[in-house]
Amino acid sequence: MDFVSNQDVQIKEMLRSIGVDSIEALFTSIPPSLFHNKPLNDDGLSEAESLTLFEQIGKENTFSQFDSYLGGGAYQHYIPALVGAITSRSEFLTAYTPYQAEISQGLLQVTFEFQSAIAALTGLDAANASVYDGASACAEAVLMALRVHKDRKCIAVSSGLNPLYKAVIEQYLAGFEIEIVPLEKSKDRTDIACVIAQSPNFFGVIEDMPGLTTEAHAKGALFIACGNPLAYGLLIPPGEYGADIAVGDCQPLGLNLNFGGPYAGYMACKSELIRQLPGRIVGQTVDSKGQKGFVLTLQAREQHIRREKATSNICTNQALAALAALVTMLWYGPVGLNKLALTNYSRAHYLSCVLENLPGFSVLHSHFNEFTLKLPCKVEIAEAHFRKHNIEPGIALNRFYPEMDQHLLVAVTELKSLEQLKKYAIVAGKL
Amino acid sequence: MTSTIFEKSQKDQHAYSLPKESIEWGIFELEGIYKRQFPIPLPEVSEIDLTRHLIGLSRRNVGIDNIFYPLGSCTMKLNPRVNELVAQMSSFAKTHPLAPDNTVQGNLRVIHELIAFLADLTGMTGGTMLPNAGAQGEFIGIMLIDAYHKQRGDSARKEFLVPDSAHGTNPATVAMAGFEIKVLKTDVHGDIDLADLASKVSEKTAGLMLTNPNTLGLFSPNILEITKMVHDKGGLLYYDGANLNPILTLAKPGEMGFDVMHINLHKTFSTPHGGGGPGSGPVLCNEKLTPFLPLPKVVKNGNVYETIWEDAKSIGHISSFHGNFGIYLRAYVYARLHGLFGLRRIAKNAVLNANYLKFHLSKLFTVPFSQACMHEFVLQADRFLSVGIKGNDIAKRLLDYGVHAPTVYFPQIIKECFLIEPTESESKDTLDKFIEILKKIVKECEETPDLIKTAPHNMPVSRLDEVYAAKNPVLIDPAVKK
Repeated sequence: MDFVSNQDVQIKEMLRSIGVDSIEALFTSIPPSLFHNKPLNDDGLSEAESLTLFEQIGKENTFSQFDSYLGGGAYQHYIPALVGAITSRSEFLTAYTPYQAEISQGLLQVTFEFQSAIAALTGLDAANASVYDGASACAEAVLMALRVHKDRKCIAVSSGLNPLYKAVIEQYLAGFEIEIVPLEKSKDRTDIACVIAQSPNFFGVIEDMPGLTTEAHAKGALFIACGNPLAYGLLIPPGEYGADIAVGDCQPLGLNLNFGGPYAGYMACKSELIRQLPGRIVGQTVDSKGQKGFVLTLQAREQHIRREKATSNICTNQALAALAALVTMLWYGPVGLNKLALTNYSRAHYLSCVLENLPGFSVLHSHFNEFTLKLPCKVEIAEAHFRKHNIEPGIALNRFYPEMDQHLLVAVTELKSLEQLKKYAIVAGKL
Repeated sequence: MTSTIFEKSQKDQHAYSLPKESIEWGIFELEGIYKRQFPIPLPEVSEIDLTRHLIGLSRRNVGIDNIFYPLGSCTMKLNPRVNELVAQMSSFAKTHPLAPDNTVQGNLRVIHELIAFLADLTGMTGGTMLPNAGAQGEFIGIMLIDAYHKQRGDSARKEFLVPDSAHGTNPATVAMAGFEIKVLKTDVHGDIDLADLASKVSEKTAGLMLTNPNTLGLFSPNILEITKMVHDKGGLLYYDGANLNPILTLAKPGEMGFDVMHINLHKTFSTPHGGGGPGSGPVLCNEKLTPFLPLPKVVKNGNVYETIWEDAKSIGHISSFHGNFGIYLRAYVYARLHGLFGLRRIAKNAVLNANYLKFHLSKLFTVPFSQACMHEFVLQADRFLSVGIKGNDIAKRLLDYGVHAPTVYFPQIIKECFLIEPTESESKDTLDKFIEILKKIVKECEETPDLIKTAPHNMPVSRLDEVYAAKNPVLIDPAVKK
């Protein structure tokens, strides 16, 4: 199968029309020593055969047999049915970046509404059209701060930041002489461009973000708040406590786990920083008749105009994933997002409270929908025990912190029933 | 004019449904200073109003499913729906990125087999599926080259060579990675000016980034000489795989002398562009660079796939988890549907379609390079500049005729440039209709130039003011700030 429209009859007509004997004659600029044209056997598949093949490969994944409590930046939430109905619309699914604004008003407007919804949720003044994921959003926010504070060559990173996000920040800074110091050891530094902290942090704990912001500002540093956007249904948003930039991953808002992607990183900021925002941004404008419309704007920041002087090399956003997040935010609305956050909070607390009362167990407080559980035994023993009962009990934290060899990071979302959580506790009790 | 969803808010209306709470759960309430004090300023809408709003907006947009979309450099080919069916299978879509290896053997198999397939296709030896887009692939490629030089103690290489015709991401990536840029001139044949290259390549050169065929749609007949000149000075060669479509199975970047490259799966391998993403930009490289590939890596031991999360030689992590798995899974479906046999038919027909259009459109507009093109070609839409009609005006008029405009003003080195890429998907009939439309537009330029200068006329909005938007940035709905 190849989806090529033209067949021999049209191909011959076209070759005749342009006065060439064969298609191969169009390839003469390729040096003969590099040109492969020996006949190939037809090794393609039909649609039905391909579906059979991938169903088979899918069966090699046994993950769905487990009741999973994995989180750590990616969570299984309910995805409203409307999300798929909208993101599978041809007009959104198969469009390119809306360079031709007049024929792309739909996509431009939903992107504008996504920016607006992210600003609403985070309490900040502006947002971009999304970046790759939460990790790249963190890294791009750090680069923003370094552009603002060109004379400062140091950033402070909270130990509660997702370690994979921190690793990506390090990668983005690898080509520059920038020092990365732990926030806890940055007290006496005066050359810090920004502080980045996460709440709820990687261990699930709600951090004192207002306090950290005040401390960062006292040093003249920008404060970057990384956070699960769903948590802002319940928690004070970054804009309200004075954070300069808010970043995170939209995955909890209507995106499948997808083994890690596609997700969408969100970035919101105060109005004085908008010209430092990287990536696509949609703005409202007027047409030649004075009607409201939308265009890609502030493009003077971007690589296709500015080339090496651009704010980032980023070319795409995660448009379709951002659309899924928008539909989810609108479907829940202000009341629903608050209730959803509270449901997550309550269910996680139900489990953490039950577990905490078991002998030898303890829980890190205060948390949102994910918590660090200290076990009475090595984590490998606990994992094997839970898996015998078809439970994937959480992320073994020694994967990232070798000294935390009795610790699990347990995520509980609105999808967990009372029965599931009771079973978890019963199985835990037999450890 | 369409109202925003924020303007459609009606008190207390909503769409959500949530599981019921019961007393059995206990009562847990967050209190204190970390609690949100004010309602989120999002609109309140019912499901029917929300659905109509979004479907209404979809109708103010177009994709490749709707119209001919000859957007150069973007490879707007058919996005087969079977790809979507596979990506939505819950056995893939509901797997967690940190799931134990033994529960995601199918996913790891996809990653392992796809890297092997793409490496073979491009003449490379290894690779990574991690990059979330072509630009991120470029960034990783440059980091790999940097790691290679540093590991050899060759730390004086601070320059990258980039042609003036390159995609904007190339110089932006090089700058992001902390290198200096030396711009290479294009000669009269549309190729790299070899004398200019000879004068700029040196012991300071870390590498050269090149697209081949380049952004003018031309395959460089001097490619072996170019890669040799850079290698002779100790630099490495990066291949921007944005234009891989026309050479699938016919030529391999690895054999041309390239050391590392990325592929835009959302172009060549048909994953939907989604209005600007998500994409996927895997990196392939030769044995010089494989030791430095980013984490996590997938290896096969016997019949078992394993994920490697730590490796001292690796450059480290570049995205949160395994990259855009859901996207490159679609690309793998596409690869298996075609096999090498089908991919070759794609390459040949993409080139035929482009040359057919070029031949016929050269009667209407200046074609700066006369030799056969690959999958795309440039035109100069400058014929009517004397009466004030710019390339962009003609592009806008095309929208009125129900086709998407080509890429305009790129590459920047061509005056009033149109970059046109029809792809293998399109039939001769579609191409003929496009030619007829451009003939009509040329006639309109001669007879009713104002009609062109004020186009489009049949769109939901007329010409939008981009300058106004940039000078008075309104980036969020005013309702959010009330």
